[in-house]
Amino acid sequence: MDTTALLDSLHPLEAKVLTILKRANKALSDGELAHATELDPSQVSMAVGWLLTKQLIVLATEHITPIVSLSETGETYRQTTSPPEWILQSIQEHQTRGARVTVKDLQAQNHFQPTELSRAIGLLKKDQAIRLVSGGVLETTDTASVTTQALRNLLTQLAENTQPLTTFPDSDQALIRQYAVKRGSAQEPFRIEDEILRTYALTPEGQTISELTTSESSKETSQLTPDMLKDGSWRNYSFRKYSISLRPPRLAVGRRHPYREFLDSVKQKLVSMGFQEMRGELVETEFWDMDALYMPQFHPARAIHDVYFVKNPTHAKSIAEPYLSQVADAHRNGGTTGSKGWQYPYDRERARRLILRSQGTAVSAKTLANNPDVPGKYFSIARCFRYDQVDATHATDFFQVEGIVLGHDIHFRTLLGLLNLFASEMAQAKEIRFLPAYFPFTEPSVELHVRHPHLGWMELGGAGLFRPEVTIPLGVNVPVIAWGLGLDRMAMVALGIHDIRDLFTSDLEAVRNMRRKF
Amino acid sequence: MPTISIFHNDFEKLVGRRADVNQIESWLQLVKGELKDHNPANGELRIELQDSNRPDLWCVEGIARQIRLVLDAKPIDYPFLSSKSRAKRRLTVLPGIEIVRPFVAACAATGHQVTEEGLNQLIQTQEKLADIFGRKRQTVSIGIYRLAAITFPVTYGLVKSEKTRFTPLGFTEKMTPQEILSVHPKGLEYGAQLSQADDVPLLWDKEGQVLSFPPIINSREVGEVQIGDQDLLLEVTGTDLPMVLLTLNILAVNLADRGATIDPIDVVYPHATAFGKTVNTPLDMSKSQRISLKAIEHALGTSLGSEVIQQALSNYGYQVKATQHSLSVKMPAYRHDLMHVMDVAEDVAISRGYDSFTPIMPGHFTVGALSSLESLSDQIRDLMIGFGFQEMFSNILASRTELVDRMQLTGTPQGLVVEVDNAMSESYACLRSSILPFLLRVEAASPRSFYPHLLFEIGEVAIPDMGVDLGSRTTVNLSAMIAQPGASFSEIHSYLDLLMYYLVREYRLEPSTHPSFLDGRVGTIICGNRELGYIGELNPEVLEAWQINMPIAAFEFQIKI
Repeated sequence: MDTTALLDSLHPLEAKVLTILKRANKALSDGELAHATELDPSQVSMAVGWLLTKQLIVLATEHITPIVSLSETGETYRQTTSPPEWILQSIQEHQTRGARVTVKDLQAQNHFQPTELSRAIGLLKKDQAIRLVSGGVLETTDTASVTTQALRNLLTQLAENTQPLTTFPDSDQALIRQYAVKRGSAQEPFRIEDEILRTYALTPEGQTISELTTSESSKETSQLTPDMLKDGSWRNYSFRKYSISLRPPRLAVGRRHPYREFLDSVKQKLVSMGFQEMRGELVETEFWDMDALYMPQFHPARAIHDVYFVKNPTHAKSIAEPYLSQVADAHRNGGTTGSKGWQYPYDRERARRLILRSQGTAVSAKTLANNPDVPGKYFSIARCFRYDQVDATHATDFFQVEGIVLGHDIHFRTLLGLLNLFASEMAQAKEIRFLPAYFPFTEPSVELHVRHPHLGWMELGGAGLFRPEVTIPLGVNVPVIAWGLGLDRMAMVALGIHDIRDLFTSDLEAVRNMRRKF
Repeated sequence: MPTISIFHNDFEKLVGRRADVNQIESWLQLVKGELKDHNPANGELRIELQDSNRPDLWCVEGIARQIRLVLDAKPIDYPFLSSKSRAKRRLTVLPGIEIVRPFVAACAATGHQVTEEGLNQLIQTQEKLADIFGRKRQTVSIGIYRLAAITFPVTYGLVKSEKTRFTPLGFTEKMTPQEILSVHPKGLEYGAQLSQADDVPLLWDKEGQVLSFPPIINSREVGEVQIGDQDLLLEVTGTDLPMVLLTLNILAVNLADRGATIDPIDVVYPHATAFGKTVNTPLDMSKSQRISLKAIEHALGTSLGSEVIQQALSNYGYQVKATQHSLSVKMPAYRHDLMHVMDVAEDVAISRGYDSFTPIMPGHFTVGALSSLESLSDQIRDLMIGFGFQEMFSNILASRTELVDRMQLTGTPQGLVVEVDNAMSESYACLRSSILPFLLRVEAASPRSFYPHLLFEIGEVAIPDMGVDLGSRTTVNLSAMIAQPGASFSEIHSYLDLLMYYLVREYRLEPSTHPSFLDGRVGTIICGNRELGYIGELNPEVLEAWQINMPIAAFEFQIKI
């Protein structure tokens, strides 16, 4: 790792420790570091750990020091009395009353453990402060107990304090050792623990880094506060530098659904080209979905396996006249359309059968019957339903982008002109091909193939001039372009999706991660 | 529409020239065909034909013929279609058949040895025509026989099922037609096309030998055409005479294109048909029609002139005579798709090539606009997104379980949905009447996506309503939900309140009950005096049913202009 990278990766705690070590110009212990940096010992220990790993500091010295402190038992002795003190007091009390006291009497008071008592009696006898007379009776002497006094001094000295063993006089050291907690004798007043004192020093590399860190100046803070701005005290602070290369935390934000956003852009394009939006019903009659589009009732795409039928009610109450009769005539014998028609007995009952809209063109058919503007341009982005096995390329419901253009100047060449516009506006395509196509409701019919900058050659849509058998029965007497665009593949590639079902996924994480590539 | 297999060599022979696959692909424009697949190893080309009104193109012969016509710019003559003389063979139709399957047409094809390739193509054509054009053999079915095994005249009539036995194709023992219907695979597949009457349609020859049991199966003895056979009998039966005749015409020109001589057969009906009592088949039904030159020029947007149009149509197979302002056009006998002058206009365009027409922009100015409902939806979407809600977008078919049962709405007025009668799967059997279940579906699927989850969707729903024509109304709803620890009524209410403020809508909440929400923590959203929706904390029963372990507060209401 080079110096800059090391500097960047430096945590503020590390920087502090390095700075202090540089300033001290000698090895420092954890305690000294905590004191000098004003950090918690735990923070210092973290920083030291990291710096050791980065080899910016090394362990300079390691001292083991026995430290003396009071145990819980010692603390109790200190606050009340120690066993020898208590024994002396008890004997004196009895003697003042002219009473006598035996070892047994003392034990019966249950003030200390029997072992504590017997050790204390031994200590006092050794100091010749008491003597044992016949009948087990204890008596004090005129000699004071030196040891009892020494113990009391130690207890007082160690009150809320620890001290290295070596700082005590030898006699005290011996006494402490004798009365220190050890294996097998937990009830002792003193505790001796080894303290390992480590000091740390800068390595040459640490020296370099420490000279480059700048946290030594003034007071450091992580946060600029309103108060600092109010009183201007921000000038007294340096602001902790961040590791800006780290990944930031994620956010839960509000955002348009990426596929809907794609359709929004389609919608905007169409409006910008002068198209008005049409809307329709999810549930439609076969009449408006198919009959009005001159699809004969025996058409193979009208079978039970192609369209979803509604369970209840099965049929609409009525179909608006004169459209029903005029469309029926067009199917039977062409009516007034100049066509010979499909030549079959048209079933008006079938016309009322309710289905889930199977094609967006149904919306256009209704617009034709509803006094459309001439000249006029219309579009819809219509949810449609097909009886398909759901898989990676088939959804049960999907959007169709389709529409119509009405006008006296509408003919085959203006149809191609419109498709040219779609190619450049919708797919940024410069190369296009027009291929003859078949749709039941248009003649002539065209398939638009374009060379998309990201997808290569693709079919962008289909279009044609509505057959007079469609327009005339619906009361329209000018030529009409019908067009439809297939944009889902474009959307899928743009969103990096390979399965059409993912356009409508229920996986929030996937939606949060989805984005448009073009 | 049909996808067929053709073979490169066979196609080249029929089209009369060598061509690589790219060349063939570009020629396919002339027949609205799309090359789906190509196997260079055996020369197989898979082609999808788009035009459901051009069954003559659903075979290699038809594709090659249409291309050859344009390339050669020269008509093809089929003399058997214009012969006026009596045929030397006869097929008699007996009275009574008209109630079952009234029509039949037949011809002989001789002097052409059946090759493996030709036979495969013939069988493929037979299947596509009978299945798609003939609506699974209902309106049209086809039989092909070895001519040599048949003694004329042939008879077509009804026969009592138990009185006849013959060996059907694919079997070795004789059976009655009734046994065939209950045992033979084709009988099981197509038996429904016949009525349940005891009398069945049969074709038999002078010797009483059964040819076939249409539309089910041929006899094995005379109906099993083999490679190397020289002479064939073709027969088409059905319920629609023009379709029956057209089908035979297509089969006849196909075999003629392969070098066979077509011998017409006189079909003698007991009553007069639209084409007389005796119909000499194949029969050219198409008639000359006078069409306006102007109509074509107007449709195509260019003044091509009589001569150019005449040439284009002639190159495409029409017979054309021109006068000053109109054309007299006659379609070839293998086509029957001229309904309107626009059909002719398209053929002119295809014959000349779409590329020969210069595109021009429609000239009129129009004003574009979104519907007011869409504009309002977009305004709401912007607000919700600004509030920090992630927009969702769902498929709108779902199961009854999701839409009704899990929402605790079984048997309640809110639990009414539009149901599909012929659902393919329970998972897509109902149309949504509310969006909230779709947001819960997201929540159930996404417990691992970091919280909070603030979601909304705005979109169409279908509300059952027996009062309207269609039995349902399509409306646009907004639903929003908050899923996070501590999600509360007051929090979601704040968002609703802010939304209504920015939309400049007066609204009020009234305490109500709704099985999907917690009692005492649900309100009806009311604008004016219309109840538009609900707001509340989700009932734990609902969350449990969705296996959601997170409290949710939500609202849903109908968007109105």
